Amino acid sequence: MLKEQIERHLLEVQRPSRYCGGEVGQIVKDKSKVDVRFAFCFPDIYDVGMSHLGMKILYSLINERENYWCERVFAPWQDMEEVMQREGIPLYALESMDPVGEFDFVGFTLQYEMSFTTILHMLDMAHIPVRQCDRGEHIAPMVVAGGPCCCNPEPLADFFDLFILGEGEEVNLELMDLYKEMRDAGATRSEFLRAAAKLPGIYVPSLYDVTYHEDGTVQAVTPKDGAPAIVTKRVMTDMDKSYYPKQVVVPFIEIVHDRVSVEVLRGCIRGCRFCQAGFLYRPFREKSADTICAQGKALCDNSGYDELSLSSLSTSDHSQIEAVLDQLLEYTADRHINLSLPSLRVDNFSKSVLDKITTVRKSGLTFAPEAGTQRLRDVINKNVTEDELMRTCRIAFEGGYTTVKLYFMMGLPTETDEDIIGIADTAQKVVNLFYDMPDRAKGKLQVSISTATFVPKPFTPFEFEPQAEKAEILRKQDVLRRAIKSKKIKASMHISDISQMEAALARGDRRLGAVLYDVWKDGGRLDSWDEFFKAERWYAAFEKNGLDPAFYANRTRPYDEVMPWDHIDYMVSKAFLIRENEKAHAGIPTPPCREKCSGCGANKCLGRACFPEVTA
Amino acid sequence: MKDYRIVFEKTGLMRYISHLDLNRCMIRSIRRSGLPAWYTEGFHPHMYLMFPLALSLGAESLCEMMDIRLTEEVPEEEILERLNAALPVGLHATQVREPKNVTQDIGSAVYTVELAGDDLPAVWERFLIQPEILVEKKTKKGMKTVDIRPQITCEAAEPIPDGIRLTLRLPAGNEGNLNVSVVTDALSAFAEAPVQVKNVCRITIFCVNGEVFS
Repeated sequence: MLKEQIERHLLEVQRPSRYCGGEVGQIVKDKSKVDVRFAFCFPDIYDVGMSHLGMKILYSLINERENYWCERVFAPWQDMEEVMQREGIPLYALESMDPVGEFDFVGFTLQYEMSFTTILHMLDMAHIPVRQCDRGEHIAPMVVAGGPCCCNPEPLADFFDLFILGEGEEVNLELMDLYKEMRDAGATRSEFLRAAAKLPGIYVPSLYDVTYHEDGTVQAVTPKDGAPAIVTKRVMTDMDKSYYPKQVVVPFIEIVHDRVSVEVLRGCIRGCRFCQAGFLYRPFREKSADTICAQGKALCDNSGYDELSLSSLSTSDHSQIEAVLDQLLEYTADRHINLSLPSLRVDNFSKSVLDKITTVRKSGLTFAPEAGTQRLRDVINKNVTEDELMRTCRIAFEGGYTTVKLYFMMGLPTETDEDIIGIADTAQKVVNLFYDMPDRAKGKLQVSISTATFVPKPFTPFEFEPQAEKAEILRKQDVLRRAIKSKKIKASMHISDISQMEAALARGDRRLGAVLYDVWKDGGRLDSWDEFFKAERWYAAFEKNGLDPAFYANRTRPYDEVMPWDHIDYMVSKAFLIRENEKAHAGIPTPPCREKCSGCGANKCLGRACFPEVTA
Repeated sequence: MKDYRIVFEKTGLMRYISHLDLNRCMIRSIRRSGLPAWYTEGFHPHMYLMFPLALSLGAESLCEMMDIRLTEEVPEEEILERLNAALPVGLHATQVREPKNVTQDIGSAVYTVELAGDDLPAVWERFLIQPEILVEKKTKKGMKTVDIRPQITCEAAEPIPDGIRLTLRLPAGNEGNLNVSVVTDALSAFAEAPVQVKNVCRITIFCVNGEVFS
């Protein structure tokens, strides 16, 4: 049996409990009593995948159905992969230790572009034909994907049977129901796919033909066999009624985000023009304070975790955040549970919120001004002022904090050297603020600056923008390095060819499928890890296929160009994105949704305004 | 406030859980059990938990010990029941008692070791009659050669279908530890043929004075 074969080799690898399941909270069913088996695959290692909230939600949701069984699958680290290759062990699921190739659904979550080669590799390790066209007419396994990168699934079109757009709480079950019915009636793969394409939110790439202009841009995407011309993402309209798990799988090893989390809201009211998540997850929807508290208590009680995170894109934008904290603190304080708020904003970070989280734990603070000058912050619509940043740092310093981390981007649209020097100036002002405080905390001040290369993404107002070339980023890093005067400021500036590949894949078309295939064939996998990414491999694969990453990453796209993802609808309209892009170049900010509706279009799924009291 | 010593088994998949991970798993299990665990005072309070003797990764055990401290007295059967309901499969508490010995009392531990390989009963005999068994040991001052032969007490050796089952008593505790894997690695080197370790299980912990640790 596979289980015994795997166990025999577990002591040869690091952290063997990544590979054998058995955790509290894992769900094991009798497979003879199960109708549809779903292998939820995370294209990265256990430590990363187990931290992913979406997987926890969908795992529990599917398993609530008695006759459906969802199991977990992760990519093995190099040492385990060598064992599996050597011993002929196929990719397997952790609960049953059955080969992934035996499942009805093999579902991947697409969280970041650089995981794409790992997907190909995992399919191959599962002995599933990597290309969709080689899978034949047998209905199983159905290779599907969900998650944010489905907003432009085109580079993966060759490899997937279908993509699930938007939020999966309802559509995943609809899809499994349809599958069960059609499989039991003897349907073929293509019959099922044609039927699935009629479910709202399901995109079947093989039912669309793509033609290109001579210059390489997309000419048209044409549906066939009755597939819809536009596929719109799915949205849960009422977060209080939306499914949320009461228990999670509790890992033995320490994972990246080792805590339970309650999602407090979806969407974002901010509209930062670089931020893909801020647009993809619209419209803004909150859970009530009672729901958040009940879910948080259930998760802590059932899992035994002593840290509870209130997660979202911007937790302090919850309209009842103080009430939520007060109510939760009553529960957590005498149970030795830490509350963590991972995404606080500079502009509404209040003293009382800080006091509430520090009753339990005090660590460094992290802020993301993103750009070094007010002008550029207006361009990217990061509506944070320097005064607000200084006010927040003052509160933090008064509260005893002595480490501040500041995140910035480089290569933003319209950026000049003045904006780069502004990064150093901002950090310097934080240093000066600390030393000007008569009653400053004891301890050593450290201000760290971290810069990342800006990557333009689909469904953002910057989807038309070129990414800065590597040489330009290197030059700007040098400008920044020379502008830093204080020893209290530590700058970490990372540069890698990864960000150009990420940019190419993010806005790529179907022709990149051949590139991904060649990179994988050449040994590419776990490419989001610096130790595995090999730039030469990627450049060679582009060249072999007569393509240029710069065409995808570093080119300005006119407003009227057909984007490879134009037949995919994430509810924010193209007209809105163009309007926002024009405002960016004019340096005009857009107020948050709660102040004024900017008319992005995402509220159409709610059938009402997101904030009834606010007018357009 | 009262201290309890829990005796538990660590078997099956739980072999692959390291000592550090076991510690975290026990904290979460106790939290799930709802037992009134005592937390240390101070800036970063943590649950009081003590393991007198760590077990190496890959080994099973029928005699693991863990000391916990509760804020109030709880009947021993209730502790067993609540803890077992919260533990993952492969961790199972068998006894709860008042701690008698202290960590410093530990002197040795007995293991059953199942090995597979060609002609092992004979190989084992030849291995053991060597006047000395020298192995390289990593110490703080670098590599050092030690004779482990005096540290190995073989209490039983019986043939099994494709190998041998040994009962070994090895030093454990503050005065020095000998890991089973050091012995099996030395045996592999001696046999000049692959020796597969099929199972290692700790069955008893003894005090220096020869009594069972309890």
